[in-house]
Amino acid sequence: MKLTIDEIITIFIFSFSLFLIGYFVYGCIGWNIILSLSNWEGLNPSYNIIGFIQYINLFQDPVFYTSLWNNLLLILIFVPGSILIGLFLAILLDIESRVEGIFRTIYLLPFALSFVITATLWAWMYNPSIGVINTLLEKVGLGFLKSGWITNENIAMYSTILALIWQFSGYTMLVFLAGIKSIPEAQIDAARVDGASDFELYRRIIIPQLKFSALSAFVVLMVFALKAFDFIFVLTGGGPGYSTYVLPLMMYRETFAMTHFSYGATIATLLFIIVMAIVLPYLYMSFRGKRE
Amino acid sequence: MKKIIFKHIIIYIILFFFLIIFILPFWTCLTTSLKSEEDVIYTIPIQFPLSPTIKPFEEAFNIMQKPLLNSFIFTTFATIFSSILGSMNGYIFSKIKFKKSEGFFIIFTIGIFIPYQIVLVPLVITMSKLGLYNNIWGLVLTHTAYGIPICTLFFRNFYEEIPESLIAAAKIDGAGTWMIYRKIVLPLSAPAFVITGVFQFTSIWNDFLFGLVLARGTEALPASVALANLKGTTTAFWNVQMAGAWLYALPVVAIYILLGKYLMKGYMAGAIKG
Repeated sequence: MKLTIDEIITIFIFSFSLFLIGYFVYGCIGWNIILSLSNWEGLNPSYNIIGFIQYINLFQDPVFYTSLWNNLLLILIFVPGSILIGLFLAILLDIESRVEGIFRTIYLLPFALSFVITATLWAWMYNPSIGVINTLLEKVGLGFLKSGWITNENIAMYSTILALIWQFSGYTMLVFLAGIKSIPEAQIDAARVDGASDFELYRRIIIPQLKFSALSAFVVLMVFALKAFDFIFVLTGGGPGYSTYVLPLMMYRETFAMTHFSYGATIATLLFIIVMAIVLPYLYMSFRGKRE
Repeated sequence: MKKIIFKHIIIYIILFFFLIIFILPFWTCLTTSLKSEEDVIYTIPIQFPLSPTIKPFEEAFNIMQKPLLNSFIFTTFATIFSSILGSMNGYIFSKIKFKKSEGFFIIFTIGIFIPYQIVLVPLVITMSKLGLYNNIWGLVLTHTAYGIPICTLFFRNFYEEIPESLIAAAKIDGAGTWMIYRKIVLPLSAPAFVITGVFQFTSIWNDFLFGLVLARGTEALPASVALANLKGTTTAFWNVQMAGAWLYALPVVAIYILLGKYLMKGYMAGAIKG
């Protein structure tokens, strides 16, 4: 078989991308897994393979369980919180479709911005001494509600989650709005002719058809709940104490602050396995769905 | 009738309530960024400054100038490179169905979802070995490589819409794969390039993690890390931090206002953030 010049160019370009993905995604993942089985500590990259000792250490580390628990809190509160508020806003904007554009633009703005910006804004909102929330609470006579927010280790994680729901609700709203728009008008008109009220219309006709929107938003939020790093790192840095540690943050600290490279690689590998356990079934489903 | 009006009033009250919650952090950021230090301490955060000053902006700009320029350079290049590669891959995946092409596509797509922590250590070692640690081109390479999966997905989905008959007709005329891409597919790609370009530019501009581990000092420091550092120091007061946040947010806010429609399409086409 003789290749034409056209085919050679195509193969060359594709191989270049394949090489980049092969090295930077799969090569680095493999390398990281090998590191997790080694004993590399300190800045000098020299190590021996020691098996699963790092994993055993990890499962005995109390900070690991604190971090895992906080990731779990994100999954349990941040994910449903963002989905419910997004759905609620999408329905309200669908009813008031004349003003949908302007409200949608403002609700979605936080999602477009870097986590470093939103974390900086919320650090100011939550600042205990002169910050926005405490000052406003005092001014309206609700001073007793004043709190340390992110400096009180009992509620710091919840304050963080609240701010993240603020940032992501606009996104889930957008997903649901698109889902509502894809429902055929005829169905909605038919329900209206039958005398369905708004409430019945959404409950019986529209919301049941948003399953796919909900699923895709759910996967995106779940993956974020596990990967969350930037926002928490800038807002609280994991503190006070370890109260807002999550797995990615623990990985960063162990690796780049304490130079426990193998230990960091172990945390990363575990995180990777958890994320893939969520993503792979979803990808499998959507690819199979497309083929059918 | 009365009941319907009442319903609309309730909905509007709720919508405006959320509007205030969504705007409040931005509003206080704006007022605080225009206040002197005394004003920050002695006025209510949401109150407009008694004597507005742009001094915090000057101070923040002095610190952020170089990082903003760095971010602008590597974001622009990485956006261009990853979009072009994504376009070519998207074409190959959607129009040339070679053996195992679907398997390769899944291999690419998984790259969108991986938590980047899994590659950080090997990535830093690689960049050091290549002499690209603390180097703008290291960030260009990194963002290009990890941008390929999502760009490929965008373009493949877009090219699926191009009718097969158009390609078949060109093949009969004797055009090869590369020629078909250049003469037929590429001229139809403008909307896809806008959506992908806007999406990539904002994601790379917003990135923090890669900048954090690949740049130290000032040489290649991205604006995201510079802003985080500003927050970390005790010398920069709230007004300077808020001004810095605005400076760093400005390009994305501009894109959001001017090209928001395309950005939303990008989010819908598979927004993966974080």
